Amino acid sequence: PANCYDLNESLVDHAEGQHFLNEAFKIITEEVLCKGTDVKQKVCEWKEPDELALLLDLELRATGEPEHRLLQRVKDVAKYSVKTCHPHFFNQQFGGLDYHSLGGRFLTEALNTAIYELSPVFVLMEAEVLRGLRQLVGWTEGDGIFCPGGSVSNMYAINLARYQLFPEAKSKGLWSLPQLILFTSQESHFSVMKGAAFLGIGTDNVISVKVDEGGHMIPEDLDEKIMLVKSQGAVPFLVSCTSGTTVQGAFDPLDLIADVCEKHKLWMHVDAAWGGSVLFSKQHRHLMKGIDRANSVAWNLHKMLVAGLQCSAFLLKDTTNLMKQCHSATATYLFQQDKFYDVNLDIGNKSVQCSRRVDCLKLWLMWKAVGSNGLAERVDRVFILVRYLVEQMKIREGLLLLHEPEFANVCFWYIPPSLRGKEGNADYQDKLAKVAPVIKERMMKQGTLMVSYQPLGNKVNFFRLTVLSPLLSQKDMDFFLNEIERLGNDL
Amino acid sequence: PNAGNEMHNNWESLREGQSLVADPRLPGKCYPAVIDNFILNGPTVDVHAVESFVHHAMEMIMDEAVKKASDVQEKVCEWRSPEQLKELLDLDLRDEGEPESKILQRCRDAIRYSIKTGHRHFFNQLYAGMEPYSMVASFITEAIKTSLYTYEVAPVFTLMEETVLRKMIEMVGWEEGGDGIFNPGGSMSNMYAVNLARYHYCPDIKEDGLVAVQRLVILASQECHYSISKSAALLGIGTKNVYMVPSDSRGKMIPSALEELIKTAKSEGAVPFMVNATAGTTVLGAFDPIEEIADICEKYNLWLHVDACWGGAALMSDRHKHLLKGIHRVNSVAWNPHKMLMVSLQCSAFLVRDKTSLLQRCHSAQASYLFQQDKFYDVSYDTGDKSVQCSRKPDAFKFWLMWKALGTRELEQRVDRALAMARHLAQAIKKREGFTLLMEPEYANVCFWYVPPSMRSLPAGPELWEKLHTVAPVVKERMMKKGSLMVGYQAHHGQPNFFRMVVISPQVSREDLDFVLDEIHSLGKDL
Repeated sequence: PANCYDLNESLVDHAEGQHFLNEAFKIITEEVLCKGTDVKQKVCEWKEPDELALLLDLELRATGEPEHRLLQRVKDVAKYSVKTCHPHFFNQQFGGLDYHSLGGRFLTEALNTAIYELSPVFVLMEAEVLRGLRQLVGWTEGDGIFCPGGSVSNMYAINLARYQLFPEAKSKGLWSLPQLILFTSQESHFSVMKGAAFLGIGTDNVISVKVDEGGHMIPEDLDEKIMLVKSQGAVPFLVSCTSGTTVQGAFDPLDLIADVCEKHKLWMHVDAAWGGSVLFSKQHRHLMKGIDRANSVAWNLHKMLVAGLQCSAFLLKDTTNLMKQCHSATATYLFQQDKFYDVNLDIGNKSVQCSRRVDCLKLWLMWKAVGSNGLAERVDRVFILVRYLVEQMKIREGLLLLHEPEFANVCFWYIPPSLRGKEGNADYQDKLAKVAPVIKERMMKQGTLMVSYQPLGNKVNFFRLTVLSPLLSQKDMDFFLNEIERLGNDL
Repeated sequence: PNAGNEMHNNWESLREGQSLVADPRLPGKCYPAVIDNFILNGPTVDVHAVESFVHHAMEMIMDEAVKKASDVQEKVCEWRSPEQLKELLDLDLRDEGEPESKILQRCRDAIRYSIKTGHRHFFNQLYAGMEPYSMVASFITEAIKTSLYTYEVAPVFTLMEETVLRKMIEMVGWEEGGDGIFNPGGSMSNMYAVNLARYHYCPDIKEDGLVAVQRLVILASQECHYSISKSAALLGIGTKNVYMVPSDSRGKMIPSALEELIKTAKSEGAVPFMVNATAGTTVLGAFDPIEEIADICEKYNLWLHVDACWGGAALMSDRHKHLLKGIHRVNSVAWNPHKMLMVSLQCSAFLVRDKTSLLQRCHSAQASYLFQQDKFYDVSYDTGDKSVQCSRKPDAFKFWLMWKALGTRELEQRVDRALAMARHLAQAIKKREGFTLLMEPEYANVCFWYVPPSMRSLPAGPELWEKLHTVAPVVKERMMKKGSLMVGYQAHHGQPNFFRMVVISPQVSREDLDFVLDEIHSLGKDL
């Protein structure tokens, strides 16, 4: 015999595993979903890293543990994790909770499959979802794929633009090419930089285009910079503009940028990871007027539409199978040509990944449940909430907006009473810069609220409130304003 | 009632002059704020109503996706043609929403027509089985729904990832420690290796691009995973600059051939900068000889990366870790716990033997909106800048909880058992008429041909190969349409299509292996 293991029996007890699943699910429901959405509960239970490490008893040991111990661990994880679905969580461009997408996510996990021949349902489903998204962009045809994040979507754009211009780059590498240059705005997402480095282009070859006061790319500056680059003998190949910048939520003027791109024959990519969802709203889609003129779009449905990380769509106007040509590597153990079904359904070759998670189910289910109209309502409601918030801020003392919000980012300084009226002082900016970090520390340690802050250019630390969750209401906005005041008025 | 109804009811009460104070969700009296037909007092989503949806969905998931999927009486797959499936699923996305009962039915349909990768007769890929602890962890991850870029937003998962990476590095054997990160897949981990190796060679590449250096060359065995090629293309190096080193009859890279190719590359004026060795190749499950390859890499000062996505699990086994002998000498390792160790997809680790923050330096962009330096906690816990991603899923937690539940010893036993099963299957194949083993399995891949009776008398040669080549695709089609079994097949280096059985799950027993051979024979004997 090969060894002493009893191969006649299965090693795992199904009943035990299923019991654990059931019990754990009860805890998840109670501790994460119920408590997490309850305003009377904390947003976060702050602990210093060392303390938390002890509490969690992280060490991995030789022996396993009994069920009750594991269920306690599940409880602990829930307790010390930040409740991103909490109505007072405004820290990132994701948050909130949609139960249909959550159901879709649990289902995805239970099925534990990846996208290729292994998931007939999901290959078809992904195609349908992408078609629906493209329709909103204004394309009747095209291509697309779900990526593990918007950063990767942006990388796809850079890679495809480069491949379209210089297909030999795929096999020969960049040594065979002239110097490639891409353009993006000063306030674009850092993934464009990271993408340029990763793809071997180099961050120095990313030209930063100026923005106006509101954070919008200035098309004239883009045009000038492209001409300058050309005159220097380098080859501009891509413009990445943003619909919904990370900090200010600004929407670059797509029509004007498309004019420039068409003039110089550059690939136009729109990073709509954050702002793309306005396309659902009849009232607000004008913010992305001109989007149909782009070559590619990155759109993260896990942001404003609460589909759950990750749900990042990369959409392409192309109908020549560019993505497949650019990314394919024929692997005989996956993409056999003698299969009994149409091998065009094996879309794995379009991706740079091998196994790819099923990210479309949660979106599809949610979309089915609430309909495009329901999703549009959510977007519209965000704008209304923001308007209410801004009105309140103007009435109150000590809250200074950076500017009128264009979208769901509300950027403002909280000016404690001690600093009010002292704008003229030499050390005013320094003092103001210290306010947000202290308030942030207090809010996290008390667990009442989470909102992010950052500096921008010459502007010192200000808060950036992102409104997106369908669970929010006016009283959460009121609470927010009161709480900032409460936490900081002694500073 | 769905969300739309709820809001409609509120609006109706308002119009009829009723105050909303009685609504239990509103703690005290408040003036209804109504702007543009939107009532802002209450959330749009009726939390209680939809909680019931998740409950029902969960019950259904337990029954249909978990229990049934592991029931050997049920089918592995319910095959439908794409056209049939499109009709059955009613995929169209519409303006209006649907009631809970319809959505639950849609979930049921999605389950029904999906492949049951947890089924005991699913052997198609390098992952399989149903692992409840990592599944629970994945549910928690979905419910908590956070991103792993800063400690402030994911404190628990940050610490867990750190712990798991440290433990994995311990198993690799880097005494001085190292660094690492979890990625969305092994392909990404391999890309990280390429990027780090070239950054290590010449940090200027990050800013200047590849034009800063001579033509770079990667060396990998001809049996390597195709992600190496894809990495080269994506990262601007070019697929032609991946030089494929021949492998021997057991699928292992030939070290002397590696050295030859390195010299060739240099003589061309190119710069070989990285060698990719594979620990557990995709088709044959072969392990490249790491010690000898490490000798060569040291001699020529090349970065040695080991793609142990599939074979890394052998490190958990005292009995089998010798397959990766020499791994403590390498620069980086890719290891996917979602394969042999059965953690829920995805769970892919990238490990690097470095304590100089190389990952961070190579990838950082220091975005001021995430990585503020004036935070009130130790910002070295913010791992986001090590990654090329922004939002990142907390995949390590799935591994951590499972590891806690089972313990290292149990994980080791599972690996040992899977490999024992593979050896047992190989023996069974050798004893059985009509089955021909390709080679003795080194790991968990058992490759073989099924030779139908009509072809058994044919002598070895092109006529047999041609006929044999057509067998596996037909048997595969039949098994999928019947839904009884799923085993992968492929052609390889000019050989006719052969089956690749991969044994992973501890739920599989000897009678399942007997079933595999019986079923293949039953499906193919008339060919």
